[in-house]
Amino acid sequence: MHRELAVSFAVLVIVLVGFACVRDVPYAPEGVLVVSQEQQSSWVRNFNPLTTAAAARWPTLAGIYEPLLVFNSVHAEHVPWLAVSYEWREDNRVLRIITRDGVLWSDGRPFTARDVAFTFGLIDSHPALDRNGVWGFLSGVHAVDDRTVDFHFERVFIPGFDEIVAQTIVPEHIWSDIEDPVTFPNENPVATGPFTEVRLFRNQVYELGRNPRYWQEGLPRVEALRFPAYPSNDRANLALVFDEVDWAGNFVPAIDRVFVKRRPEHHHYWFPLTGSTIFLYANTTRAPFDDVRVRKALSMAINRDLLVEVALFRYSRPAEVTGLSDVFASWPKPEIAEEANWARYDRARANALLDEAGLGRGADGTRHLPDGTPLKYEILTVSGWSDWVRASQVIARDLGALGIDASVRTYDFSAWFQLVLEGRFDMTLGWSFEGPTPYVFYRWLMSATTVKPEGETSTGNWHRYGSVAADEALEAFESEADPVAQRQLGLELQRIFVTEAPAIPLYPNPSWAEYNTSRFEGFPSEEQPYADPSPNKFGRGETLLVLTSLTPRRRP
Amino acid sequence: MRYILRRLGFYLLAAWAALTLNFFLPRLMPGDPAAALFARFRGRLGPEAMQALRETFGLTEAPLISQYFTYLGHVLKGDFGISVAYFPSPVLEVIGTGLVWTIFLAGTAVIVSFTIGTLLGVVSAWWRRGLIDTWLPSTLVFIGAFPYFWLAMVVLYVLGFTLGWFPLGHAYGDDMTPGFSATFLADVVRHAVLPIATVVLVTLGGWLLSMRNTMIAVLGSDYVNLARAKGLSPWRVVMRYAARNALLPSVTGFGMALGFVLGGSLLTEIVFSYPGQGYLLVQAVRNQDYPLMQGIFLVITLAVLGANLLVDFVYLWLDPRTRGSA
Repeated sequence: MHRELAVSFAVLVIVLVGFACVRDVPYAPEGVLVVSQEQQSSWVRNFNPLTTAAAARWPTLAGIYEPLLVFNSVHAEHVPWLAVSYEWREDNRVLRIITRDGVLWSDGRPFTARDVAFTFGLIDSHPALDRNGVWGFLSGVHAVDDRTVDFHFERVFIPGFDEIVAQTIVPEHIWSDIEDPVTFPNENPVATGPFTEVRLFRNQVYELGRNPRYWQEGLPRVEALRFPAYPSNDRANLALVFDEVDWAGNFVPAIDRVFVKRRPEHHHYWFPLTGSTIFLYANTTRAPFDDVRVRKALSMAINRDLLVEVALFRYSRPAEVTGLSDVFASWPKPEIAEEANWARYDRARANALLDEAGLGRGADGTRHLPDGTPLKYEILTVSGWSDWVRASQVIARDLGALGIDASVRTYDFSAWFQLVLEGRFDMTLGWSFEGPTPYVFYRWLMSATTVKPEGETSTGNWHRYGSVAADEALEAFESEADPVAQRQLGLELQRIFVTEAPAIPLYPNPSWAEYNTSRFEGFPSEEQPYADPSPNKFGRGETLLVLTSLTPRRRP
Repeated sequence: MRYILRRLGFYLLAAWAALTLNFFLPRLMPGDPAAALFARFRGRLGPEAMQALRETFGLTEAPLISQYFTYLGHVLKGDFGISVAYFPSPVLEVIGTGLVWTIFLAGTAVIVSFTIGTLLGVVSAWWRRGLIDTWLPSTLVFIGAFPYFWLAMVVLYVLGFTLGWFPLGHAYGDDMTPGFSATFLADVVRHAVLPIATVVLVTLGGWLLSMRNTMIAVLGSDYVNLARAKGLSPWRVVMRYAARNALLPSVTGFGMALGFVLGGSLLTEIVFSYPGQGYLLVQAVRNQDYPLMQGIFLVITLAVLGANLLVDFVYLWLDPRTRGSA
């Protein structure tokens, strides 16, 4: 969606590159980091960390408030934060978490395990706050003492750990008096994070000052965060190019030419491939996509090298046959024989597979089902998402060469999403679900427990594929607390995915991050990959790692 | 008086029809606010979140017709609900943030453009084939034919970036404290110059042409000839006899334009990062924010109806014939 105006921006860029204009830029005061993550024309003062993620201002989830553990997606590990350690007890039915000592709320009251128990209790009584669905597997949360909290599980469900530790914690002494925590705008937050003081709030700009009582000694070194309101991606990009913004998470077309070249010593970007993988989903309840050979053939027909070049300015790479993004770079990979790799571009083998599946070619070269119906399909995509539209065009052309009459059909976003949710499509582009382990990712790609009949809304598994083997592995995963054994099960899940080809991975999405080192240093980079560099990675607290690592440069 | 009452009755009916459409049209769109928000995260939010989102936005399964009556009841009480896109701000508050700036920006632009355009139309019709008549209409139509988006970008680039004469966006400087101080007002004007100028530039041609064409027709009519024959001063002939009558179609257009002002000049607001109503409307549609959409549509409807009412009254004054039917 933030790509809609990319074309018009590109036009402007051509004009920009021709000139090198010097301009008097109104810099933010020294030590104030200017961030652009949300695109709004005016700000609404909402710092409620419990309601839907998009409602509250960006720093609320990871900056003002903090989760129990931070997930570092570059190293694929949890970093102790408000919690310092955890252990599984009573046959993995109880998770005991030890909270950090010496943490103060920004109003000076101590943070304790009771705040944690209170937060989870609040979510229990307000289902609208249960963003991660934790009360689908929990039965009770109790503080044992000021530093210990026990999570009692309804059933053994190890992956629930990731959702529990990602929860932002609110102070009991404030929130116990709030009548309706769902619509509470929390205008003056009391929190544990590095930036808690609202120094300024206007509809075009707001500033968050540092928390004077932050538990990490001497941090943050950044004095305040400033957020100017930019209503569009173009406008935010221009601000970035002209040094008005220090840190951003936008899509920038042709970034080397547009951004880096202007000031190579300070303009940097790093796009690690830690986003969700983009898939081509074929509806597996409809013939011939119920045949694994057909799905593999479709996949082998796609020239992914061309696709990432045409659709994504080469910001990504062709997906691996397991579909996993670089978040799982440290997880073991199965040995896959050359001929079993159906993510490799091989039109001859694709043709052979379709012949074998009994989809012969008619007189005009178009293939047809055994009953004579020609293979004529639409690939659904969203109008205005230019990367997806271009990717679909590449796919349609490649499938055409295979004898499948595929055409691209763009829909308005909502219309498209409804068709996808209800499974009323032959082929569509779509994203996949992120998580610290491959459990969530594979569950929504191939678990029979997530399959709903066509016409009924299904929030995941849109292609409606159920695998018995996958369900066994996923079930084993649910009760496996040992990280080493988990990785073995991850291996098993990858093998099942490669054998059954439930969906066709195209490319992992990059995590967008641009930064300007003229005023601050210490951003994650390819040379110093200490965390994901993108301000968009706030769901599991990762931006906290960056905010606490930045240092202002002293002006000469 | 009967005329006025009849008009008022008509407007009441129109308002009700608009309220009803405002309710049903957004709901005919596929999808719902929860799905829209969920999908905005493209996989960064787990499938479990969807249920929580539905709960948050209070999406009910109640039949549409009963929802409709609840909505009517709330509107009569002045309760427009809570915005989804700007959760949890009440709709009225959200609209309030944009409304002032939109009225100022688009209102000024329409008035300036109408005044200058109409005057230029009069001038070019009177001195036909003169220097102004030869060059101005064609130039303005030429400029007006450019896509506004592009034109605004170029103006912003040249005057904002390269020359640095004007700020790049927003309604006032980030370091300003809003208030009725001279420096603040000067800053607001400085920020408004480019957006207003671009809008005026592309709309001027329309006003000019419409005025010029009716003027030419009116100038050829018998009563204008009579006025000239009587030896009245040219100024009096132009202003009192010709322009006043030629103004009627333009006044209708002006009323409409004034009404649509509250819809916001979407492109202007996006290019110049102006915190107005048009951008709010786009956000509302994108997020399937029913309450906000209803609120904004209602404001637009009321504004259009109000402007029309005003035009009706102006007609009474401008055109004595309408008074006869009253």
